[in-house]
Amino acid sequence: MSVASARYRERFCKRRVSDSEWATLPRPRSSTRITSSALITMRSLLLAVLAAYVVAAIHAVLAFLNKRRTLQRVSDWSAAAGFLLHTAALIADWAIYGHYPLFYLRETLSFLAWTLVASYALVVYRYRARPLGSFTLPLVSLLIFLAIIIRPPIQDSAEKSVLSASWLFPVHTTLLFFAYAAFFVVFLASIMYLLQERELKLKTFSAIFHRLPSLTTVNEIATSSAAIGLTLLTVGIATGMVWASSRDGRLWHNDPKEIFAALTWILYLLLILYRSTARWRGRRAAWMGVAGFGLVLFTFFGARLMGGYHVFG
Amino acid sequence: MSIVLVGVNHKSAPIEVRERLAFTDEACSTGLRTLVDGEIVREGLIVSTCNRVEVLVETGRLADTTDRITQFLSRSDYLPRAFFETHLYQHTDHEAVRHLFRVTSSLDSMVVGEPQVLGQVRRAYSMALEAGTAGRILNRLVHHAFRVAKRVRSETGIGANAVSISYMAVELGKKIFNSLAGRTALLVGAGEMAELSARHLVNAGVSRVLLANRTEAPAERLARELGGEAVKFDLLPSHLVEADIVICSTAADHYVITEQMARQALSKRRNRPSFFIDISVPRNIDPAVGKIPNVFVFDIDDLESVISSNIREREREAERAELIVESEIMQFQQALRVLDIGPTIGALRNKLHDIARLEMARQRNRLGPLTAEQEKAVEALLVSTVNKISHPLLSHMRRSSDASDAETIQAWRDIFGLEE
Repeated sequence: MSVASARYRERFCKRRVSDSEWATLPRPRSSTRITSSALITMRSLLLAVLAAYVVAAIHAVLAFLNKRRTLQRVSDWSAAAGFLLHTAALIADWAIYGHYPLFYLRETLSFLAWTLVASYALVVYRYRARPLGSFTLPLVSLLIFLAIIIRPPIQDSAEKSVLSASWLFPVHTTLLFFAYAAFFVVFLASIMYLLQERELKLKTFSAIFHRLPSLTTVNEIATSSAAIGLTLLTVGIATGMVWASSRDGRLWHNDPKEIFAALTWILYLLLILYRSTARWRGRRAAWMGVAGFGLVLFTFFGARLMGGYHVFG
Repeated sequence: MSIVLVGVNHKSAPIEVRERLAFTDEACSTGLRTLVDGEIVREGLIVSTCNRVEVLVETGRLADTTDRITQFLSRSDYLPRAFFETHLYQHTDHEAVRHLFRVTSSLDSMVVGEPQVLGQVRRAYSMALEAGTAGRILNRLVHHAFRVAKRVRSETGIGANAVSISYMAVELGKKIFNSLAGRTALLVGAGEMAELSARHLVNAGVSRVLLANRTEAPAERLARELGGEAVKFDLLPSHLVEADIVICSTAADHYVITEQMARQALSKRRNRPSFFIDISVPRNIDPAVGKIPNVFVFDIDDLESVISSNIREREREAERAELIVESEIMQFQQALRVLDIGPTIGALRNKLHDIARLEMARQRNRLGPLTAEQEKAVEALLVSTVNKISHPLLSHMRRSSDASDAETIQAWRDIFGLEE
């Protein structure tokens, strides 16, 4: 035992403690060790993330409306900076609280925002479909804002120790969050498809028509994101089942979140089957992409209100 | 030093006047040499297109310039002045710069935002360069005008949306298919408009063009020209399956493409979208085709109405472009003021001579009485000394000005404490 930790023991127990006695004492919870300076660092980091995303969002919207390349560049760079800071913030969160940062609502919102930015980056990389950013980035900013104003929770160690015990917790949740992000991309691409298809049929074009990616592009984005989302959802649900059975031997608990997740899974499976029977399904597939996202939202937020086995976001 | 622009355009003069004033390339080069006399007109440029004839000059004597250009345009009174004089507009300095900037940015074009005029000005400039009539000021002005045009094009949507039927096919095609590379176009009927559209499509990357015409000779001729394939008109239904873009322009008085044909083609295409353009009157494509999902049909009226809304959109963007032009005029004039070293040279000379005179006045008493001749000799000594010292300085300044090196000129000004 080092001197430093002896001093720490003394401060913690407010008296001198011998090595043998210390060994018998209950371990101090990680939560009690979180210093206020760490919390302030976390908070300012998140504020910096928010600032970067807000700048990115504003510039993305302006670039979308005005078609200025310089604005788009500002948006790209600040989104990239925000994403790096955000990644750092998540890692810091993990290090400080000692559990995977996907437990409390505050953390889930922040993590969800992170997956949204990551998938936006992928879509831009693959399809150059930057208009997506003018919808994604404002939402991301809002999520981070909420994550900041929601107060850090009082640590519930018992619950946490259960959740952080298994490596399946991070895998299960991360997969599902990326699936949600993918479905959000499907949703946006479907909306863009429907808007443009309608205008092409009516032959009257609004100002934003010319700024949206082509029908083929949004169709491809929707198709491939739906496939990726469904894969992630499948593996995510599977790991959840494995984890549940390792805890209490049951695969299924009939909890609302499970039921809605199953419905979501079926809907996206149908969507993909429907699309693959004929290569291009256009309108109806797009409507399914929109409806599917409604179900995702309900799975994510709605089921929470009904309570059940899944206690967290 | 003044910049003057005199000319006519499609708004100020009818075609009868414009065509008489227009210059051929040869007339332009020889004309430039007679126009630029080095005295009244020091630099010159002639822009002559079907929509405008404009003479842009840099002059040392503003008062005589307009008359000189009018005389020049009349081909030494070969054309009676009364014939065109009332149609002429004339801009000086600020106004002339604005006019040129607006022309190159295609704000002054018949269809706002059409980019051809930029190429025409570029051509006019290279002819002036060849003739040696584009000097320090015009070089700077024309290059600045090109820069303005580029800025307007990239920062506003002035040239964004198609405003001709033939180009509409490309634009809508891209909206549906993203890229036209690897797509197939089918021309039904070999009319002139269809041909023009097909050319645009090929330029935009369409890889295969099929031509179907009732009589085969025109289809084959066009196929050779476009590098396409002439196909049998009777096999239209099967070709519809291959075609992503169909342009229909036959003289038939019935529907050449029926709803049933389009539906069958679509299902054989496994629902891949197809895009039909019907530029024939009466229509050749059943309007009901447009109701089929994943099939988009535009007839001539649809295209016209999209075009007119695109033109309105361009005009809205033109307002933003005007703001850019205004700010660029200010920048240009500032740059010009810096480069205009006439006043600087004068001020520098005066300053040096003043110093010499002042020193002379201070030391004059010590010299005692001098003869008039000696007095003159001392004076001449001072003047020539000052001139000898300032000569390399001034010639360096002139060189910097010719090289448009504003920084060096400003440095000279700062060293001697001269105002601009």
